[in-house]
Amino acid sequence: MSTIKENRKALLISPELCIGCRGCQTACKSWNQLPGQKTINYGTMQNPPDLTPVSFNIIRYSEVPSDTNPVRWLFVSRRCMHCGDAGCMKICPAPGAIYRTKEGAVAYDKDKCIGCKLCVAGCPFDVPRYDAQGKISKCHLCYDRIADGLSPACAKTCPSGAIRFGDRDALIDSAKKAGYAKVYGEADLTGLGALYAFKDAPKIYGMNENPAIAESVIFWNTVLKPLAVIGLGGIVAGALLHYVTIGPHKDADEEVKKP
Amino acid sequence: MVRKASVEEIINHWILAGSCILLIITGYGFLFKIEPMYALFGSNMTMKIVHNWTGVVFSASLFATLFNYLHEALTYDADDWAWIKMGGGYLSKKQTVAPPMGRFNTGQKLYYLVILLAGIVISASGFSIWLVQGNRSLTLASHLMHNMAFVLFVMAVPAHAYLGTLANPGLLRIMINGTVPLEVAKKRYPKWMKEIGKM
Repeated sequence: MSTIKENRKALLISPELCIGCRGCQTACKSWNQLPGQKTINYGTMQNPPDLTPVSFNIIRYSEVPSDTNPVRWLFVSRRCMHCGDAGCMKICPAPGAIYRTKEGAVAYDKDKCIGCKLCVAGCPFDVPRYDAQGKISKCHLCYDRIADGLSPACAKTCPSGAIRFGDRDALIDSAKKAGYAKVYGEADLTGLGALYAFKDAPKIYGMNENPAIAESVIFWNTVLKPLAVIGLGGIVAGALLHYVTIGPHKDADEEVKKP
Repeated sequence: MVRKASVEEIINHWILAGSCILLIITGYGFLFKIEPMYALFGSNMTMKIVHNWTGVVFSASLFATLFNYLHEALTYDADDWAWIKMGGGYLSKKQTVAPPMGRFNTGQKLYYLVILLAGIVISASGFSIWLVQGNRSLTLASHLMHNMAFVLFVMAVPAHAYLGTLANPGLLRIMINGTVPLEVAKKRYPKWMKEIGKM
């Protein structure tokens, strides 16, 4: 179980400040040496359409006119949320494949990944992707940069302040001071590492209102896992007890009725 | 001497038992991310490959048991009910009166059905996790089923192993050479002995 750490870092994403330049997508590819992808124009500036094994972040673009604003474009940076209680980490069976850095990033080691893809099912945000080698691929909050005191590539390159990186508590404070009563991700899943300052309801920005780890995964983790040990132990103890108290079956002690 | 288990039955039972135990051991490795166990297999990836392909062997072996045990495991009469009521004679030290049994007793027949059903669940869900991609609900349901069946297996298999060895001296011999001394067989399997004309 992961806990929130004092020096936890986070990203604060402010869609209202985003100008849709997608410099964050390019900077991410540049730092992480990810190749470009051939895509098609399907009538929106959102490109590629969703996260891919070589696109760790995208700007999700949606047109949501309101009563006061007939031309209302929403640009939302989508990536791994670096959950405090991460479904991918919980369900992952491979030791060391998905791990938490001391800054709170959910990073991964492809050499330890076994390609089972359970993290895809365990993630409440549909984030993890698999590369051509069948290994997990997703945003890792530039764990290599932030360990050295640098900002993640996306935040470093963002020209408008729509993606800011810093101490998680300080970012929440600054968003609240800027007039956002609620910060998306402040408490969900023991706090997300990607915070969003939304002016409107999160669902208008295409976000899940109540992100949660699947019930079956919670049941598995809290009930089935201990039961697999208690059950085996109970049977072994029961067999021992039977052997000592009642003892093995002896044909001589048994009278069998005639068939 | 009476031949109780055929050579095919003996070989297949060993394959089923061996693959099942290997799957349980690696299964615990996955469940608790036991690093030394992965190391034992060489790497994380190797243990997964071993687990998956052992699963293929287990499934094939389980399928083969259908021809060995299914028919008898679905046949019950009043003696079976009497066997259940006396708990198979395992629950008391006293002299017991047991109902006559066929080639398999009631407990063995019920155990087979439980293992068959749980085995189908654990195989199907395992193949689903391994091979079916892009359906989150299906993967999560398979993950749950696989783990529920696992809990059943880690309880049923050691109980079965205890009953087949320490609790019933002499039974292990059937798993090795398949034979039972005639006098023992007459006492333990009277209905079957009658059926094949040895009693």
